[in-house]
Amino acid sequence: MRKDLVFGMAGSGGDGIVSAGDSLLQAAAAEGYHGVMTKSFGSQIRGGESSCRVRISTEPILNPGGNLDVAVALNWEDFLKFGAELPVSGTTVVIYEAATGIPENQIPLVGVTPLQVIAVPIAAMAKETAGTERAKNTVVLGLIAGWFGIGAVAVMKGIRKKLAKKGEELVEANQRAFDAGRAFAMEHPLKASMNVVASETKGQVKLITDGNDMCAAAAIFAGCQFFGGYPITPSTEIMQFFTDHVWKYGGSVLQAEDEIAGIGAAVGASFAGKKSMTATSGPGLSLKSEMMGLASIAELPLVIVDVQRGGPSTGLPTKTEQSDLFAACFSAHGDVIRPVLAPTSVADMFRITIEAFNIAEHYQTPVIVLSDQEIAARKETLDPIDTTQFKIINRLVPAGADLQDYKRFKQTDNHISPISHPGMIGGTYLASGIEHVESGAPTNSGSVHARMNDKRTKKFEPLKDRKDLFEVTGNPNAPIAMVAWGSIAGVCREALAMAQAEGLDVKLLVPYLLYPVAEGVYNDFFASVQKGLVIEQTHLAQTFKLLRMHIDLPKGLKPLARSGANPFLPSEIVAALKTLVSELQRSHEGNLQPQE
Amino acid sequence: MSATGTCEYQPKDYKSDLKPIWCPGCGDFSVVQGIYRALAAVGRPPHEIAFVSGIGCSSRIPGYTTAYGFNSVHGRSLPIAQGIKLANPDLLVLAAGGDGDGFSIGGGHIAHLIRRNMDITYIVMDNQIYGLTKGQLSPTSQKGRVTCTSRFGSLEEPVNPLLYVLAYGAGFVAQASPTDLVGMAATIEEAIRYPGFAFVNIQSPCVTYGEEAQQIKGLKAISETLASLGHNPADRLAAMDLAQHYGEKLHLGVFYRNPEPPPTYGDLVKERQVLLSKDALPKERILDLFIKK
Repeated sequence: MRKDLVFGMAGSGGDGIVSAGDSLLQAAAAEGYHGVMTKSFGSQIRGGESSCRVRISTEPILNPGGNLDVAVALNWEDFLKFGAELPVSGTTVVIYEAATGIPENQIPLVGVTPLQVIAVPIAAMAKETAGTERAKNTVVLGLIAGWFGIGAVAVMKGIRKKLAKKGEELVEANQRAFDAGRAFAMEHPLKASMNVVASETKGQVKLITDGNDMCAAAAIFAGCQFFGGYPITPSTEIMQFFTDHVWKYGGSVLQAEDEIAGIGAAVGASFAGKKSMTATSGPGLSLKSEMMGLASIAELPLVIVDVQRGGPSTGLPTKTEQSDLFAACFSAHGDVIRPVLAPTSVADMFRITIEAFNIAEHYQTPVIVLSDQEIAARKETLDPIDTTQFKIINRLVPAGADLQDYKRFKQTDNHISPISHPGMIGGTYLASGIEHVESGAPTNSGSVHARMNDKRTKKFEPLKDRKDLFEVTGNPNAPIAMVAWGSIAGVCREALAMAQAEGLDVKLLVPYLLYPVAEGVYNDFFASVQKGLVIEQTHLAQTFKLLRMHIDLPKGLKPLARSGANPFLPSEIVAALKTLVSELQRSHEGNLQPQE
Repeated sequence: MSATGTCEYQPKDYKSDLKPIWCPGCGDFSVVQGIYRALAAVGRPPHEIAFVSGIGCSSRIPGYTTAYGFNSVHGRSLPIAQGIKLANPDLLVLAAGGDGDGFSIGGGHIAHLIRRNMDITYIVMDNQIYGLTKGQLSPTSQKGRVTCTSRFGSLEEPVNPLLYVLAYGAGFVAQASPTDLVGMAATIEEAIRYPGFAFVNIQSPCVTYGEEAQQIKGLKAISETLASLGHNPADRLAAMDLAQHYGEKLHLGVFYRNPEPPPTYGDLVKERQVLLSKDALPKERILDLFIKK
């Protein structure tokens, strides 16, 4: 019996791979399991190849998992296109379409001998039972139910619901396809049992959503009433969610003519007194940078979500990366600090998005939520969230005495000035991208500019003391450390648990606040550290360099960085940690030698 | 006008303490006077007005009013104005800028504002030159014009701002000139009162880099009011016909005013908000949307 199973499936567009993954995830949730699903496509619109990976566990899941336990290939050509996303190992059970004509001992996995390989006439079974090959995905679900003990009841319940509108005939056809899959599994038992332990929380309510929908829902919860944006993969679903829901709350959404207009409208809405947001991906972030600078100097609250994909330029639109970090921190000219926050999971996205609005409102600043394709598109099962625990912060509005001779950019002790908005009597002022004196009047005085730069950057000092925007796990005095953020943090959390189980003295720092760099937090964390890794999905080791720019890092701290779509595996990180441990031991032994 | 019919506001109530940086004799001095007069005539208090601009000489104009002003970035006044209008439809939203701001760098936005028909008034101070950067070619400069970026004469046809907005279907299109302050104020007032997107092109002389023909004397020589021509502003095709004379004639007044203004974007947004508000989950339950039953 297993507590955790990772399924990977691939086929051609139209094979219903993603739909099957969805059904499996929903069934798992109904049966009380935790689950995560990621999907991956070629970059074509229709057809081509598509894949999904579903991880199911009795424990909360921190990442989509490493090597597959179960691989389903509806055709090999498509499956092999996802080599990095769907890694097969010696412990994987491989199920594939018999009609490919490839014998079980000749499957095209070079250098890998899976635990077991089973050819199943999936298309033929679909045709025979449902009258159409389109039911192949239902046959696959039947196979999974039979072999792994997941979804025997819940899958068909979900399918029934989904297809109810299309008629009983289709539902019955799918039931037959499902039953055939299950029966096949029963007749061809696996070498070793891979059934999943029954969950103890069966029947409890679980939420299922992805990072983009979660982000938009959190924004509306935080009081966002305006979204301006432009469609761009993989952020578009955020705008879609707004177009479905924000009207209900008296807000509105503008699908603008371009990225610049999208953020421009959001800047305008914020100036008008409403919480507002835009979302984009790398190329769009580049276009928005002038407006981000404007919002910084005009001290207007604004949340910008950047769902990272591979860059530069159009790069890898459908694959994840963390390489927009520099752009998020530094794009737009001049001296400016723009807080950058990063969620590590779909569940986190709720808290981090609310936090982004709170920081934007409190500090009167644009804030970037640095999501990534994996979090944005991956579906997670979540336990219900108690929304009443979240505090919502609104901007400081002038009142009474403030409005006598109102000065919009008044110097105050904490560098935050009350902010009026059109409609407010006594609060009229000129907002501008041009440097201004306290009243808002334009100036080209160098000394005023220096003072205002001081105001606009010093106001963020308290943000760096926000310990709740950092998570330290493992032994706080460990000599070996990891730093990771975003979706990679989940992989590192799992690597930490594995390393600890093997007796390694390791700790992990996950920053939710990436910028401004909180020197104090890192200095405390690094105090005990002799060796460590900054683990990130970039080519240039951007995170490592950002930290090195601000902090005297321990000599033994190194980047573990790579770009592209290939996610790190927890096992790979553990191996790297072990190398550090042995290096450390050697250097200690070296130190014990008598000095000559 | 108040309910009793008396004017509550005077033009001076809209004049700020900031001293304009424009060159002495610049047409924009006259434009801002026209705007003060128009705003007083409309009678909305300054704090209910949001006045947005981009970058350039003319884009300084919001600062010279007592309204809430936003002197933003080059070419982007219209997206910002739309965000303001959507966030608070009760505001009177004005946008202003120059020909470069509106028809070069920001040229992509105007078509979309027209499509959306938001109730925003857009005033372009068209001097056919880039003044603040010291005299380069503008999108409305005449072909063949010699400037510091076209020393051998411009090779491009100018944009025709009037035809441009008429072609996209603007509901209100007018032209004014500082040579006629009273007419300009009346035109701007009419534009503000029009329920939907309204565009006013103002030939505003650049005294420093402008050509002689575009100075007050030259403008007077080519001015003709549309009223004197017997033009019917409800006739869109006639308006387009007249608009073809941009650059040779200075037609003043309303080229086109849609006699049956369609609902504005704001009206449609409000309709949708009302229609859908009954489906709103309480915010603290918004995550219920993710429960798969």
